[in-house]
Amino acid sequence: MAQKKVRILMAKPGLEGHWRGLISVSQAFKDAGFEVIYGASMPPAEIAATALQEDVDIVGLSILCSNYMELVTEVMKELKAKKKDDVIVLLGGIIYEEDFAALHKMGVDGITIPGTPLDDIVASVRQLITKGKKKAAK
Amino acid sequence: MADNNGQIASASGIPIKDIYTPEDVKKINYEKDIGAPGKPPYTRGVYASMYRGQLWTIRRLTGYDSPEATNARYKEEYALGQTGFSIAPDISTPSGMDPDDPRVAHDIGHAGVPIYSIEDMETVFKDLPIERCSAFLADRVGGLLTPAYFAMAQRRGIPLDQVRGTTANDMLTWSSMELANQPPPEAYFRLSTDLIEWCAQYAPRWYPISMNSYNPRDNGITAVQELGMLMADVIQYCDEGKRRGRIPMDKFCKRFAFNMAANNDLFEEICKLRAARRMLRKIINERFGVQDPACGQFRVHVQTSGSSHTHQEPLNNVIRIAYQTLAAVLGGAQSIHANGYDEAVCLPTEQAMLLAIRTEQIVGLETGVTNTIDPLGGSYYVESLTNEIESRTWDYIKKIEDQGGLLKAITNGWIHREYKQAIIDYDRKLKAGELTIIGVNKFRLDPDKVPYKVPIFKSDRSSVEVLKKRIKKLRETRDNTKHAQAMKKLDEVLRSDANSFPAVKEAVEAHATPGELGAAVMKVYGKWTYPIGV
Repeated sequence: MAQKKVRILMAKPGLEGHWRGLISVSQAFKDAGFEVIYGASMPPAEIAATALQEDVDIVGLSILCSNYMELVTEVMKELKAKKKDDVIVLLGGIIYEEDFAALHKMGVDGITIPGTPLDDIVASVRQLITKGKKKAAK
Repeated sequence: MADNNGQIASASGIPIKDIYTPEDVKKINYEKDIGAPGKPPYTRGVYASMYRGQLWTIRRLTGYDSPEATNARYKEEYALGQTGFSIAPDISTPSGMDPDDPRVAHDIGHAGVPIYSIEDMETVFKDLPIERCSAFLADRVGGLLTPAYFAMAQRRGIPLDQVRGTTANDMLTWSSMELANQPPPEAYFRLSTDLIEWCAQYAPRWYPISMNSYNPRDNGITAVQELGMLMADVIQYCDEGKRRGRIPMDKFCKRFAFNMAANNDLFEEICKLRAARRMLRKIINERFGVQDPACGQFRVHVQTSGSSHTHQEPLNNVIRIAYQTLAAVLGGAQSIHANGYDEAVCLPTEQAMLLAIRTEQIVGLETGVTNTIDPLGGSYYVESLTNEIESRTWDYIKKIEDQGGLLKAITNGWIHREYKQAIIDYDRKLKAGELTIIGVNKFRLDPDKVPYKVPIFKSDRSSVEVLKKRIKKLRETRDNTKHAQAMKKLDEVLRSDANSFPAVKEAVEAHATPGELGAAVMKVYGKWTYPIGV
């Protein structure tokens, strides 16, 4: 039996209009054989609803504005409300190192900054998939 | 830089020879193809004296937390010698939503200045001599920045026919970004054309449109694609002016302003600007039959390319920005925004801002590159590359016209497929080493080994509550009868073929908020489904 493709929702929870990074990384996942649901710009509640409806394994968020702490908090809250917080959560964009620990604590599994080779992003996500989401930690 | 066949090529893939000789320029007719600066076809510059007469305008896009904070910053910049102000509005302007709209709760107060009324505009420009400076307003179509600026000028006793500045609201720019509450490109096209018509009659010194390929360029396209989209934009607007027939074409196209990017390939960027000048004149003169030499002058604001700045080793961007600024200068720009070196890290800190202004001043006043006009003109290589870029750009325009023109090419998704393919191509080249970004795909250091850290700007969001109160007060204290009448009229006008700008202006004067103006446009035009995905 063919292995089920990894399903990933890629979306921007904020209102800033930069989508180049989201396309770039989405395409890399697609080329790597993932099933990509390109969510584009979506408010946090819609991201959670789509994640549930599309039964995704991973939610990838792109944020290029300094409001990522708030937006990630909202997305995590909405995912929890939909009982979909067992997904792997990725965050890409301009994210300050000083916030990494807090973001991981909130449930973000992988963080990517601009300039990261796409192959490295895919490889790190494959590692996360192998490791699996630590539900017990939550 | 090599293409995938191992040949040396420019960033947009133009093969570059080992040497250029008189053979490469022998078909050039000096008078017809190059000519004197200030004379058609303007290849060497739009003004006769260029920087010998006046340095370019140092105009940086700035907007902070509140109108008060932005005013303080503008005053500092003015004291430093900056002569133009470029408003970076907060999210309420591009999205057409008020600060207390729950949809903007997480985005408000993070970037850009909140301007919700004529009074806010007055605060932003308090004590600044607007009659001696020019303003650049990144306005939403049907938005309030332009009417509020006009009203402020009138309150100061400056008649509209004396007001100087630029509105940036063209369809190419706004469709290149995915925004919340975004109407379809037809709405951008109609409303921005309305402003062109209105200004031609009532505010003739104002640039009613800045056709802008900066943002499209940062979506990953090449210099040739950038110029092609920009010139296709010109053609589309001129076609519309002609179709409407309400304003004579020589008035309609007299005050077009332009905004381009300066990316890493120095000579290609210089030649792109030289080719742009010649092409605009040809379009206006040969295609639309406008004889007036004041029309078809490619007056361009150039910004160093944000997408070329790296998050890795951010101080390297200082060097990139200086070379890109040099490209803009050697290309003959009228106004330049050198980015903050921390562009890929945060909003610019004070030191990044000062350094950017100093970068422009050092290029302009220390290096001597402004001593003569178009110093590279006549170079076998530069003239040949200018010709090649022009020729390839005409071919690209043809492709857009085959889609039915730029508007159709945007609405049918063709332009966004171009963006997407460009991103894929760029990523492939970066991975294959066909393009070099120092510190990213070449000589990359372990992050722990980078011997410096840069300070990070943090926005002060304590102002958000103030904004909410301010807009609440605005709604409570305005004349609601007058406001309701203005909004009703705006709705009627938007549903008709009449020029919409007087109704937008009246609504702003009746204290319509950004959210109300945005909703008025959305009600008539609906929401655009953004045409990109994987």
